[in-house]
Amino acid sequence: MLRFTRRNFVSSVGAAVVAPAASMLSDPIGAATPSGRQMPQTLPSPDSQTVYLFFNAAEARFIEAACERLIPADESGPGALGAGVSNYLDKQLGGAWGAGERLYRSGPWQSGTPSQGYQLPFTPGELFHTALRAINQDLEKRGAAFHDLPVDAQDNYLKSLETGSEDLDGVPCAVFFSLLLGMTVEGFFSDPVYGGNRDMVAWRMIGFPGAYADYYEAIDRHGVKFEREPMSLAEDGHGNLHVHPEIPASL
Amino acid sequence: MAQRLRAVDVAVIGVGMVGSIVAKELAAAGYKVVGLERGQARYTVPEFQSPAIHDELRFDIRKALMQDNTREPVTFRNHDRETALPVRRWESFLPGTGLGGSMVHWNGQTFRFQANDFQLATRTHERYGKNFLDPNLSIQDWGVTYDELEPHYDRFEYLLGTSGKAGNIKGEIQPGGDPHESPRSRGYPTPPMKEHFQGALFRKAATNLGYHPFPQPSSNLSQPYTNPEGIKLNTCVFCGFCERYACEHYAKAVPQTIILPVLLANPNFELRTGCQVQRINLDSTKKQATGVTYIDAAGREFEQPASLVITSSFSLNNVRMLLLSGIGKPYDPASGKGVVGRNYAYQTMSTVASFFDEDVIINPFMASGASGTMINDFAGDNFDHSGLGFIGGAFIGAVNTNGRPIQYHPVPPGTPAWGKGWKEAVLKHYNHTVMFSLHGSSVSQRQNHLDLDPTYRDAWGQPLLRMTFDFPQNDLKMAQYVTAKGVEIGKAMGAKQVAGAPRKGPYTTTQYQTTHNTGGAVMGSDPRTSVVNRYLQSWDVPNVFVIGASAYPQNASWNPTGTLGALTYWAIDALKNTYFKNPGHLVSA
Amino acid sequence: MTRLASHGTAGFTSLLMLAWAAGAPAANSQSVVAVKPRTVNAAPCEACHGPNGEGRPAAPFPRLAGQSADYLEKQLRDYADGSRNNPIMQNFAKGLSDSERAALSTYYASLDSPYAVQAAPGDARLLARGHQLAFQGDESERVQACNSCHGPGGSGVPSSAPYLAGQSAEYLASALKSWQQGTRKNDDGQLMASVAVRLSAADITAASSYFASLGAPGN
Repeated sequence: MLRFTRRNFVSSVGAAVVAPAASMLSDPIGAATPSGRQMPQTLPSPDSQTVYLFFNAAEARFIEAACERLIPADESGPGALGAGVSNYLDKQLGGAWGAGERLYRSGPWQSGTPSQGYQLPFTPGELFHTALRAINQDLEKRGAAFHDLPVDAQDNYLKSLETGSEDLDGVPCAVFFSLLLGMTVEGFFSDPVYGGNRDMVAWRMIGFPGAYADYYEAIDRHGVKFEREPMSLAEDGHGNLHVHPEIPASL
Repeated sequence: MAQRLRAVDVAVIGVGMVGSIVAKELAAAGYKVVGLERGQARYTVPEFQSPAIHDELRFDIRKALMQDNTREPVTFRNHDRETALPVRRWESFLPGTGLGGSMVHWNGQTFRFQANDFQLATRTHERYGKNFLDPNLSIQDWGVTYDELEPHYDRFEYLLGTSGKAGNIKGEIQPGGDPHESPRSRGYPTPPMKEHFQGALFRKAATNLGYHPFPQPSSNLSQPYTNPEGIKLNTCVFCGFCERYACEHYAKAVPQTIILPVLLANPNFELRTGCQVQRINLDSTKKQATGVTYIDAAGREFEQPASLVITSSFSLNNVRMLLLSGIGKPYDPASGKGVVGRNYAYQTMSTVASFFDEDVIINPFMASGASGTMINDFAGDNFDHSGLGFIGGAFIGAVNTNGRPIQYHPVPPGTPAWGKGWKEAVLKHYNHTVMFSLHGSSVSQRQNHLDLDPTYRDAWGQPLLRMTFDFPQNDLKMAQYVTAKGVEIGKAMGAKQVAGAPRKGPYTTTQYQTTHNTGGAVMGSDPRTSVVNRYLQSWDVPNVFVIGASAYPQNASWNPTGTLGALTYWAIDALKNTYFKNPGHLVSA
Repeated sequence: MTRLASHGTAGFTSLLMLAWAAGAPAANSQSVVAVKPRTVNAAPCEACHGPNGEGRPAAPFPRLAGQSADYLEKQLRDYADGSRNNPIMQNFAKGLSDSERAALSTYYASLDSPYAVQAAPGDARLLARGHQLAFQGDESERVQACNSCHGPGGSGVPSSAPYLAGQSAEYLASALKSWQQGTRKNDDGQLMASVAVRLSAADITAASSYFASLGAPGN
């Protein structure tokens, strides 16, 4: 009888069953054209597994491309795209947390010092829609959508968001960037139950064993690599992984 | 119109660690006690069970167990010249809520302060002279000594089953323990936790440098234990989901696993959850409390008459309760007058990261909340501060509690914040880095204080607590000094690269440091500089006791919980043996 | 450890269907191939534990197929040095070298045999109680969820805890009793004794029956 590893999973959000195998990821930057201008990078396949509920098509394309620059695929494995980070963002921003769960939302509002943290009225969902609209409009004016730019140009654009002081219809670009980066890291490293970290690919890369965690004996083996497949809190006894991104932010 | 309820002997505000212990002792002594907890009841089964509890996004990032900041945050500013703004998301400190309080999700790090800490002002002057201290600092003595608290520390540690190695038993230094600790009457109730690889590396390096490493005392237990209440705790399995998480194995000492089963079984005690206390009510003289007013989960207002009121909520909330109730004179930093809100302090945290080659496998995810190895050689006044220009210090240790990757992915300085370089560095260093924590003291200074915000309100319409705080220069100097010592230890471990990150100002609410908020209702011998006397009784309203780290005149080099446990038993003794026999001021003003 | 990606998309999907059709939870297995290495002499084991490590549930001789190799090796070591008490097993284990114990453990871990048939308990409430103990635990007994250590569906957590799913009900019950009575003591940190002393006799039966039932077809 044929068997399979415990770590097979079925995603309940999105269509296909299987995480893209390594061979599906495209090569990095394509060769320069004869004119000397570098061809756009042959991007990793857009995330065909995600059914977007929050992002519209233009937003989704930006998010996929931007997140993939924040955590790119490389020889060690998939980046944000392959890990389903855009799916994570879509489900978080479209859910209760994106609607303002855990955010004190009373005014009056005024901008404060860096020590005082976030002081805008936008919920995370509103912040993303507002900023992305402004970004896509800006890039349209400049003649190229983000995902069509060569990677160097993409990186420069992201850096300008990170360190600049552009106002994106009321959202300071650095605030948007910081939230985008933070959520990208969350989507990469959180439990796959939230729709990111597909097949626990990020946990495999660093060797984090996941949600089942009894190390009483192993802790004595100083300096010995802990060889165990990562385990999600959302898997059942048959190795299926049930995605439930709507887990609330409070008990 | 508030519905007036039948009177009880004692109303306890907040059924966390302090509230649970106080309520249990007073109910056992025969008093009718009502415990008013704003949060919900929760128990090891089902609320703390894994794998669901091992969810870093939910519990670490989204703060699932913490106080509902959407209804009751605090406002914050570094200085009086700024406008305080709401802390719209908890980051720097994470107040808890619910039955069992913050202890449900603490790390189990259980320390005693040293004798010196309780008379910090006197002893600093004695050792270094009266001109040593920055005149802006408002450090002071506690009004109680270590020797008076020692039996209560002991009692608290045996309630929890704390795992450790004593360093000083009745004056005799014990090998393997902390030689700097003040004398204890006996050893810990259970043996020390297993040492992880990081701890072993630290211990060898620290020993070679002539320091005195010892196992961090842990209230996540090293073996099964039955406490004096007859309640059993289990062995900790080093799951690496300690702070911000609840323990599924009955292995972390929390009210649910050490005392609540006894408390809840006592018919003298009644638990009411979902009850947000609005204020302590005073009679027309303003010198006697008549009880409390609270609003329940359905929005109904109740008046609960009580002969004695204990406010045992989180330190910040204790101070706010006094301000909302008009108990004690609020502190005004401009004039220096008043006491409530004065001497707010925190904790001064620094780190050292030691990066090793990829053949050194650290396994950071195998850890408990308090299973590190540490030294006190640079904590408190354990070293000569002459010429250094600061007081205080930090414990230094390989005390990392987890490898949860959203937050834990150390990279060397200079690593890009994102992109291929970041990803490469994360993969390269995740399993090959040792993080030290340098857990530094926090002195009080005149400008750091708590009061009520003039603009922002909670969901019940009451003013939020306003926090005005920045790191005193004293503490930033201390951080620089101890971090340099930590870097030396990192190098002595043979790390390829060592990066020290001493705490720098200004204090920011956007980065987690600790939830060791202290002061604001400090204890002392002099009502001009304290809110409560040495028994934690209000100087102004003798039937109100304010038991919390709000009592600390300044914060020492160690986590506050152990000392709070001792103070709780100390105050309970005063209540049972003295106060109830003759209610009134226990100390003449 | 075989990785998901190496199967390719279409091949994987059919493997998935096959595995679901087989019904059993995929027990911990470290390799796909069920071939007995020439160096392994499992004949003495097979007499009791069955030709394919499926065990004889009623005896009770536990199922070994697909069990965690770490766990099997530790038990053999503990039998050999007396930390686990069973005269028959002690005899076998003492006669093995370290490398033979390792080889046998790896071999049995690699097996994925059909489950031996066990009589289903008549009482649905018993199974429901067992299910509850497995997933949640019980606050009045102060017992945590079995699955918190023993993995999703009791299918085991490699390097931490053995699988319980599909194990012999009688064997599980006798193991829990031996932890409870202190006749078995080879649980580091007294992790199992701490749990077992808090279980009532009914709960021991419930948990054992429940986990055993996970070996039945369709579960």
